[in-house]
Amino acid sequence: MSTWHMDDGLAVRYADGELNPTLAASVEAHLLACDQCRSLLAPRVPRSRLDRVWAEVADAVDTPAPGPFERLLRAIGVHDHTARLLGATHSLRLPWIAASTVALLFAALASGETTRWGLLSYLTLAPILPVAGVAVAFGRDGDPAHEIGLAAPYSMFRLMLMRAAAVLTSSSALALVMGLGLLDDDWTVAAWLLPSLALTSLTLVLSSRFDPRHCGAAVAATWLVVVVATNLREPSLAMFGGAGQAGYLAITFVSVVLLFFRRKEFS
Amino acid sequence: MIEAVGLVKTYGRGRALDGLTFTVGKGVTGLLGPNGVGKTTLIRMLATVLAPDEGELRLLGRDPAGDRLEIRRRLGYLPQEPGYQRGFTVFEFVDYVAILKEMVERRARHDEVRRVIEEVGLTSVSGKRIRTLSGGMRRRLGIAQTLLGDPELILLDEPTVGLDPEQRLRFRELISHIGQDRAVVLSTHQTEDVAALCNRVVVLKAGRCEFEGTPEEIRALAEGRVWFSAEKSGVLSWRTGDGLFRNIGPAPEGARLAEPTVEDGYLLLLGGTAAEAAA
Repeated sequence: MSTWHMDDGLAVRYADGELNPTLAASVEAHLLACDQCRSLLAPRVPRSRLDRVWAEVADAVDTPAPGPFERLLRAIGVHDHTARLLGATHSLRLPWIAASTVALLFAALASGETTRWGLLSYLTLAPILPVAGVAVAFGRDGDPAHEIGLAAPYSMFRLMLMRAAAVLTSSSALALVMGLGLLDDDWTVAAWLLPSLALTSLTLVLSSRFDPRHCGAAVAATWLVVVVATNLREPSLAMFGGAGQAGYLAITFVSVVLLFFRRKEFS
Repeated sequence: MIEAVGLVKTYGRGRALDGLTFTVGKGVTGLLGPNGVGKTTLIRMLATVLAPDEGELRLLGRDPAGDRLEIRRRLGYLPQEPGYQRGFTVFEFVDYVAILKEMVERRARHDEVRRVIEEVGLTSVSGKRIRTLSGGMRRRLGIAQTLLGDPELILLDEPTVGLDPEQRLRFRELISHIGQDRAVVLSTHQTEDVAALCNRVVVLKAGRCEFEGTPEEIRALAEGRVWFSAEKSGVLSWRTGDGLFRNIGPAPEGARLAEPTVEDGYLLLLGGTAAEAAA
């Protein structure tokens, strides 16, 4: 048995949380086996600190562990309450992401063919996925507890933006990874990014007036009609060229401005 | 708690509320009326989800048009068809609503979540997924989220629909308990709920307030106007288990006076509407 014991100074510094982690771990290992040092330390630990630590421990024990999606969000630094708000988003759950992955995989495999239709199909589908995801992320049909949320003080506009940003980020990352993994490292594999932003922001601004699902369906259908009509005679990537990208940027900008002015409509 | 004067709400050509005036204080108040009379519209208005087209509304002493956020901080709301994230556990769902109620500090929020779950008797299923709960448990979960933050006003839209008799009994017990020190407004078309739970009742008819008073006063409206007889008679009449007709209205020949109930008074108030519904 060790003959070493804590002195007063060390006990006070430990009780105040001033020891470095290595020394604190040594002290704790010793305390487990030493009655004398535990007796020395006990009166030196402030009651308020003990209560706080005990409450933290009790909370950690009593609180059910969050699901894997929330744990993933927390692991990448998302705050626990934001993770829970995002955890309630249908289009961020595993089945939705799996379905998006499969759809994109088919489009990406098709675009691996040398024909222009292949690449065009990938560039057309990639912007629709975030639109669909955002359309079912909030609103009366997309959020089961929407009505309860409407009567709560939390800003529905903020919640909508948070979910839209998360959906946009996850689906864009998915499309980007798949594009870079399966296609040539041509810049055109990322040419759907601005169309994606434009269509998503357009869906959001329309959702301030109409049902988000209808808005998403209308925007996606219009996009498909425009793509098919433009490429009916001969498939080309002109829609994704410089002029097209400038147009998508303009649509995004106007939509975001309109969204700001219509933010109260979401509450 | 609630003062409403001349509330009007129009959908297209129809008027859901047509100049509704009433007041609500502490205790349990029942909004009674047949289906489609505007109860849900009114409850959504009281929850600050809908704004009236005309009229004046004051909730907790404030104007919802200007102080909506402050009112929302002090009320709990259970919609008629509350949706739940079915993949969430009981704890996660209540915690989710607590965040929407601006409870950001994690430990204090978790304490409050545990408190309301215990208050509705769901502690033993706190870690269970909502999809595995019975209908009665889901209703209690709905009530639990209304209790977050100890609100002064709780709004419940048709909370007893779909519950079996035992679940309904437990539910009434819970509502009468939470209505002891705050205002609870519940909409219903079931007179048994009003008789069992409410200390005040507001009867809606065609978007207006047809009656405002106590359940005893509504029952007293039918005093001396309910009869048992061998023949069918009165505004409303139906055959009872012992073969006699129970009639509401003028006394038929040879009739025996019956003890009226809240339902009899309510049916008399509705008059033609109730007769049409019965037909």
